[in-house]
Amino acid sequence: MVNHPVLLIAIPLLTAFIIPIFKKYGAAIAGGAIAFNMGYAIGMFSHIYSNGKIYETIAGFNPPVGIFLAIDALSALLALIINLFAFINFVAIGKESNYKFSMLYLLAIAGSTGIVITGDIFNMFVFFEITAVASYALIAGKKDKKALEGAIKYMVLGSIASSFILIGIALIYSQLKTLNIYDIAARIASMNANIKWASFAMLLTGIGVEAEIFPLNGWVPAAYQGASEGVASLLSFAPSKAAIYAIARLMLVVFPFHATYEIALWIGVVTLIIGELAAFMQEDVKRMLAYSSIGQMGLILVAFSLASQGLKYALMASLFLIVSHAASKSSLFLLSKSEKMYGMAGKYTGIVSVLSLIGMPPLAGFWGKWYLMLSAMDEKLWYVIILIFFAGIVETAYFARYLHRSIGKDGESSLRYKAAMAAMASFAIIFGLLPLLYKIASLPLWGG
Amino acid sequence: MNLATLTLPCYITVAALLSIGLYGVISKRNLMKIFISLSIMETGVNLLLITIGYIPGGTAPIENANFAKYVDPLPQALVLTAIVIGLSVTALAIAVLISYYQKNGTLEYKEGMKW
Repeated sequence: MVNHPVLLIAIPLLTAFIIPIFKKYGAAIAGGAIAFNMGYAIGMFSHIYSNGKIYETIAGFNPPVGIFLAIDALSALLALIINLFAFINFVAIGKESNYKFSMLYLLAIAGSTGIVITGDIFNMFVFFEITAVASYALIAGKKDKKALEGAIKYMVLGSIASSFILIGIALIYSQLKTLNIYDIAARIASMNANIKWASFAMLLTGIGVEAEIFPLNGWVPAAYQGASEGVASLLSFAPSKAAIYAIARLMLVVFPFHATYEIALWIGVVTLIIGELAAFMQEDVKRMLAYSSIGQMGLILVAFSLASQGLKYALMASLFLIVSHAASKSSLFLLSKSEKMYGMAGKYTGIVSVLSLIGMPPLAGFWGKWYLMLSAMDEKLWYVIILIFFAGIVETAYFARYLHRSIGKDGESSLRYKAAMAAMASFAIIFGLLPLLYKIASLPLWGG
Repeated sequence: MNLATLTLPCYITVAALLSIGLYGVISKRNLMKIFISLSIMETGVNLLLITIGYIPGGTAPIENANFAKYVDPLPQALVLTAIVIGLSVTALAIAVLISYYQKNGTLEYKEGMKW
């Protein structure tokens, strides 16, 4: 019943193109589709968690020739996070949106889920494009000057990125004549070394634009600042998380070499430093949150690069950091709708999210940083430990300033908006207390 | 011209198209020209894919008893997909540029645009 992951992509895509026929009920139909997706993702995750990986071939062609979907506990978790937060976010903003917004929202969700669960590298490119095109339109949908500026920047960089990803795929295909990720991984050693590294560089550059890593993140502050709250929230939990997972898979499965580990580690470290320092200097709340996201993506990349050295703690760390960042940033972006926080729910959201991002026990963000430090100690990477402390101090400084300015008289907002916001932030607590993520890291992952 | 030597000029054209596209994106200040340059880049990538799938002397990949050699059909399928994606991005970009023009009265890249 829950072992047909293709439905996670097919249902939102189909619904998105049905919506223009029933314009009036667009938001309701989209809400139903997202609710279905969330339920299915939860069911699929629990199925995979207890029974192991799922493979699904499309249209009856067996891999490596046919397209197939490969889902392990980790990608099921990512799909779960994306669809769960998509639903809560849609509860908050869906009612005010028109049918075009609902359509694009569904496309972005379908694309991000597709990136996570596909087992085919060209398919991954197509899903990247679906996500990116939907995101461009969602950002531009607000139609003021800043939104258009953000959308244009994202479009220019995103189009270059898509060309780079496609060149990378073409280079791999020219040597191995296959597009299946696990088939590529099995035969990567037989590739010409120059072409192998060229294709890795192209893919990393292309996907790095979506994953917001330095120096490819010029679009991030403008896009997050220009987009409406709901869209900024969506951008912070769906496309960026899917893209960082794609980079991790590239690093751990397709190119499992020492050099890729070092490149990713250094890019992550630089991204972390630049993102946190830039966030500290921002006056605008959304720009600050955007730069803070960049810093956190750097931290996640560091965790994944250590995980590629076979450190189980580092994998746990990356899972906790992903969950913590998705829960906290998306709720903080929803909160940034007005200058002041909304009553009790607003204060609760702000404080829980900020504490999780800074890394206070027992929230999810704390476990992320804790396990990252443990694994850095195993590898004797002292500068990583110093950097985590440094990031924590800078984060504390700018988030304290943010809380100090924001807590005050209550703004106006609907009950469902407040409830959704608080529910999102609560996942930082829930995942911090549940032993789920520890167990996932010890399951057999990544394999083909 | 001998068909067997066709791949080298194709690769040179790919390099030229990619360089022209990237140069345009970096150097032009008119947003419409930037998106035209992006389209040129995409064309270069598509040509690269086609060239990779080309086999000297091969015909179109359709079953036919008269021909034994076919070019690789998969890159052609990929290029079809890539062309559609490129088209949709270009269409969306032009729609956004129209809004941008209505708001700002120009297609030039603003001085105050921070990267």
